[in-house]
Amino acid sequence: MKPKQPLFHVVKRDHVSRGQLVLAYVLAVVIAVAVGAVLLTVMGVPFGAFYQKMFTLGLLDNKFAYKNVENFIKLFVPLLITSLALALAFRMRFWNIGGEGQFTLGALCAGAVAMQLGDSLPRIVVLLLMALAGMLGGGLYGVIAAILKVRYGTNETLLTLMFNYMALYLLAFFGETRGAWNFFLDPQSPRPRFMTFPEGAQMLTIPLGKFSLNVSLLVALALCAGIFVYLKYTKQGYEIAVVGDSPNTAKYAGMKVGAIVIRTVFLSAALIGLAGAFCVSSAGVLSTSLTNDVGWTGIIVAWLAKLNVLGILVASALITVLQYGAQAASVTYSSVDANFADLLQGMILFAVLAADFFTRFKLARSAHSGEVAK
Amino acid sequence: MAEQYAIEMRGITKAFGSVVANHNVELKVRQGEILALLGENGSGKTTLMNMLSGIYRPDAGEILVDGKPVSIQSPEDAKRLGIGMVHQHFKLVDVFSAADNIWMGSQEKDFLLHKSRYDRIRKVTEKFGFDVDPEKKVYNMAVSEKQTLEIVKVLYYGAKVIILDEPTAVLTVQETRKLFDVLRRMKAEGHAVIIITHKLNEVLEISDRVAILRKGEYITTVDTATTNEQALTEWMVGRKVDLNIQRPQVEKTRPLLEIRDLTIKNDEGAVAIDKVNFYIRGGEILGVAGIAGCGQKELCEAIAGLRPIQSGQMIHKGENIVGLSPKAILDKGISMSFIPEDRLGMGLAPSLSIIDNMLLKSYRDGKGIFVDRKRGREEADTVIRELGVVTPSAETPVRRLSGGNVQKVLLGREIKAGPNVLVTAYPVRGLDINSSYAIYDILNRQKKDGVGILFVGEDLDVMMALCDKIMVLCHGRLMGVVHAHKTTKEELGLMMTGALDLTGDEGRHAKGIAKDTRFGEEVEE
Repeated sequence: MKPKQPLFHVVKRDHVSRGQLVLAYVLAVVIAVAVGAVLLTVMGVPFGAFYQKMFTLGLLDNKFAYKNVENFIKLFVPLLITSLALALAFRMRFWNIGGEGQFTLGALCAGAVAMQLGDSLPRIVVLLLMALAGMLGGGLYGVIAAILKVRYGTNETLLTLMFNYMALYLLAFFGETRGAWNFFLDPQSPRPRFMTFPEGAQMLTIPLGKFSLNVSLLVALALCAGIFVYLKYTKQGYEIAVVGDSPNTAKYAGMKVGAIVIRTVFLSAALIGLAGAFCVSSAGVLSTSLTNDVGWTGIIVAWLAKLNVLGILVASALITVLQYGAQAASVTYSSVDANFADLLQGMILFAVLAADFFTRFKLARSAHSGEVAK
Repeated sequence: MAEQYAIEMRGITKAFGSVVANHNVELKVRQGEILALLGENGSGKTTLMNMLSGIYRPDAGEILVDGKPVSIQSPEDAKRLGIGMVHQHFKLVDVFSAADNIWMGSQEKDFLLHKSRYDRIRKVTEKFGFDVDPEKKVYNMAVSEKQTLEIVKVLYYGAKVIILDEPTAVLTVQETRKLFDVLRRMKAEGHAVIIITHKLNEVLEISDRVAILRKGEYITTVDTATTNEQALTEWMVGRKVDLNIQRPQVEKTRPLLEIRDLTIKNDEGAVAIDKVNFYIRGGEILGVAGIAGCGQKELCEAIAGLRPIQSGQMIHKGENIVGLSPKAILDKGISMSFIPEDRLGMGLAPSLSIIDNMLLKSYRDGKGIFVDRKRGREEADTVIRELGVVTPSAETPVRRLSGGNVQKVLLGREIKAGPNVLVTAYPVRGLDINSSYAIYDILNRQKKDGVGILFVGEDLDVMMALCDKIMVLCHGRLMGVVHAHKTTKEELGLMMTGALDLTGDEGRHAKGIAKDTRFGEEVEE
């Protein structure tokens, strides 16, 4: 009698080439989109037309296509910068999930500068000050968790998470509390409402025909290049890699691990604050929903991209296309709302995780007993 | 009819990715015999035994227990078939008592814990003749007690076949002897015992037969009585090997590093090193012997500046180095390399390339904000060439290298920095014979160049052959410094357990305090 054997077992794969890896990810995205198509069909929406509208961002046959691109960039830039910044901390295994809070604080500080100085100083100075205030606000807010971790060994995941809510409610407080001191609010409005920034605090744009190019996009792309070089070639980037890989080794090599952690987290949080500053300055007004969840989505983007700078550029573009495209498509197909983008995003994440598994392992048929594998 | 074996493994093959850990391996064990499973590290001994104990499943081949083919899908299956394994790293719950560690895996357990479990387990341990207190917590146990508990556990579950994975690695000479007595008794009671090891003298002492694996291939099985160390080594390594470790005589210089009345605390705040005195001269290797946790790690860390000291002095070339930063100590030419149990945790960043690991201690040198990878590449290439590191390229992440090559990279980097004091802990940990000898050669070359070497080791035979002097620690206390060529393993073993203290003995033993030191008032020039 032959003993029972399972049919398949999991076997570790050898090295996988970069091409295969990219192929696996593309396949994962395709699968997620295909599952989405099934859902759309069930709802009675022609998925071909829907996806076309979605992936072209509703630009085809649209007189105001340039407006769509402008709005797309306004969504894209904060997500790109936030994801980059999060990757910086994640590379060091510092789980900064406080992006929402740091973003909010950055936006709030930039907003304060805008409201106080927007009228009195030249625009370029105001914008620089807003960026600086955003970075300081976000950076200092984020670095608290890092200092506590280094000093007392607290858990940064928990702290940064809770700090998110403090920041969000601080913003809500300013948005809802009337008073002579509260310069954020519009004194004319009967209900508490954030006041629009003065002209001098709105983001610079470069006009290209009808289309005006948001300067923050250029800054974000420059940041990509900068962070790439920073991580790959500088001494500080090297320190981040070593601390992330093995804190014991870093200590042993004479690195001041605590200082490195604090410095890097400050940089990470400051960049997120900068993203917040860009966001409000592009929008021209504060709002309690200004983060658009980039602190959360950024985590997904950073991991989808495996903390790789080029990958983050691609992944954040893809996610923004999903979000903006679903919004654009839902204008035509009102039975599908913009939340469809979140659903697709979740499925893509799952599919990519599965692809990840299959790039590292494969299922092999169990050989029958007695048979000798070569 | 063919002879019936307790265990018979036929044509066992197991691959992890492209790495074939076992290929077509045969193994037979009779009842009432001790089989030694011999092979270098990475030869697939543990993998093979893990398949027998249900942790891995073979890709191909069959296993017979008492002549009947069986399928072992889980450790539960193995337990039912009467196969028990004592792993190298004990599988015990530290906060549980001895009895509860056994109880939690037993079939007869109830919903509630009854006091009577202590008595039942005490009865069993007494029956087998072990000295284990069922109510003692595991965290209060010495290593040898934990091992005994593991054996009791396996026997309690009714194992007829007992597998021990490198059981003597953590034991002193005296404890090893006790373990062997236990094994002989189990053999007399009709149990089949498989002992995994790569120590030849133990194989010859305890086993009835020896099965030899090399690089996953089954080589042969021989009767122990008809073989010798040289023959076993040749089977194991695949060619003739000179088993003598060189100990070149080098003219010694004045003490390079002297430690006086050093007291250090460990992470828990207990005293790890207690008023220890010793010194290292240039051109000598000072061995540090002691059972695990006797303070070796803390001592190494203190010398490297990674751990604050409580009191005492560390004098390097006449200068006190207490309180200097790790970087400043490095700059003085004191290099420390510590190979921890997982081999990669200290000293190397596993995911980074060989190049990046070369730069670990020197990346700050040079101006500007950029890391000088060109220099790193040159150093990596030199180390790869000079020490014969086997790697696809200098860009390969260190974790992809085999153990021997990882350690060569680490030592290579330390030597590259041109130290005058080299502190190295467990440099051959987990290495096979060839790689170990390559490392000994590297150390001897440094010694000839006048470097003072502190060698924290595990294997007493090796230390007695390689080192000039051996200092023994027990619970952080110095038990004495002896000349390696004059001492015996028994003497060292007694010192390691604290039974023999030679610190007051001025006779034939080396002294802990150098007379010709160049520190403080004693400077004569």
